[in-house]
Amino acid sequence: MNDLFIDVDYAQIYKSGQKIGGDVFLLSRNPEREQIVCTLSDGLGSGVKANVLASLTAHMAHKLSFSEMDLTHSAKIIMNTLPVCKERKISYATFTIVDIRHPSLDDIQVNLVEYDNPQALLFRDSKPIVWQREKILLHREGAFKKEELSRSSLQMAVGDRLIVFSDGATQAGMGKALPLGWRLEGVREFAQHQIERNPSISSHDLSRAIARKANGLDRLASKDDITVMVVYVRRPRRTLVVTGPPFTKEKDEILGEKLRNFEGKKIISGGTTALIVSRLFNKKLKVDLSCWSADVPPVSIMEGFDLVTEGMLTLSKVATALEQKKSLRTLPNDAVRKFVALMMDSDQVHFIVGTKINEAHQDPSIPVEIGIRRTIIGRLRKALEDNYLKETSQEYL
Amino acid sequence: MAKREKVAVKICVGTACFVQGGADLLLYDEFLDPIVLANCEIEGVSCLGKCKEAGSKEGAPFVQIGDVVHGDMTEKKFCDLVAEAVHA
Ligand code: FES
Repeated sequence: MNDLFIDVDYAQIYKSGQKIGGDVFLLSRNPEREQIVCTLSDGLGSGVKANVLASLTAHMAHKLSFSEMDLTHSAKIIMNTLPVCKERKISYATFTIVDIRHPSLDDIQVNLVEYDNPQALLFRDSKPIVWQREKILLHREGAFKKEELSRSSLQMAVGDRLIVFSDGATQAGMGKALPLGWRLEGVREFAQHQIERNPSISSHDLSRAIARKANGLDRLASKDDITVMVVYVRRPRRTLVVTGPPFTKEKDEILGEKLRNFEGKKIISGGTTALIVSRLFNKKLKVDLSCWSADVPPVSIMEGFDLVTEGMLTLSKVATALEQKKSLRTLPNDAVRKFVALMMDSDQVHFIVGTKINEAHQDPSIPVEIGIRRTIIGRLRKALEDNYLKETSQEYL
Repeated sequence: MAKREKVAVKICVGTACFVQGGADLLLYDEFLDPIVLANCEIEGVSCLGKCKEAGSKEGAPFVQIGDVVHGDMTEKKFCDLVAEAVHA
């Protein structure tokens, strides 16, 4: 598995009263080419029309970035395609494209193209970094002035963060708390403060903190869509999921070894598996009856392990929750939620699937069978990869 | 009266037991006589192993009361057996 993780997330708050955003954020990863592209586009105005234009722009930017074409050239194509507003003679949508290529741990290249969005911020740990942007002037038909596109090539390293946002953030509070709005400076200071307070703050949390603060400056009724995206380069957080007893008793020891050597969070999913592990590690296994759910059995507590759950029911519910991108807040406080929370907090998840057969003679209708276990793990992995861009791997024991 | 040892009760929360009624047994607070409840020590176990025994007469859910594992457990049977053990 990779020793590098590029944590990308974003937060968005729509203009007060709007149910659809004029800011559009897109993110794709292409693991084979070690490329990540994120695009933030802000359509003129807000609501449906703005959304359509921003979507169009973001999707174009996205497609073109994955092509072999030079990013500046792609940007020009987009700008020439974008309509120009008849009255205001300005473009219908602004955009920022972040194209990240990371062939290795110490070679993370970022190509950044910015058009009319607030300037992106770069932090090395908590220190803001300033860099030179290359300006490109474009003149489009129908536009009343030359338009400026800026392009930069950056190298990012472990600990760096790139923060991109729409003008809903920089203009927050304008005319209310702050006469000129929050401005770039305000966002920078706030972000820096957040990173200082919590040096390993995730992109998820940092983007939310900034968006929420901006919305707060607007007295919780933002005047424009607020979108904040954070790219954070760091070491991956790993989680190991062990499910199912190993094929033979002799393999139990191997499982113990693997658990002992694993660096990261550890989840045991399966009653019999938990008993085996408890025996191997000589640790007490205690079922926590304090939370009841009709759907899944309660979790157990075992020292040295982050989560111990029942197997099949829990795993299949976790898979469903991940497939449906259920937000944590909407899940009841049970084993599934705890499991999903740990998944959210991981970048890489490794599954060790035990292949012992002859489980559950009692009732053949109960899906405690290896084929089904495999299918569920397959669903889990797919959802983690497709919906949450996590890296996953698996082995049988 | 000498203080008696509490009766150890273990409710299986494994997959087979949980889906066949074990889930409801975990709500013992709601249906077990409080006096009986006060005289036993109830906990969950991840699997009593019975579900894997081929050809056993009894089915899930299983509950261990004292040293004996009982199958086909229902709320009623549970109340009766636990009360019996407590009063024994
Ligand atoms: S699940 Fe209850 S005995 Fe195995």
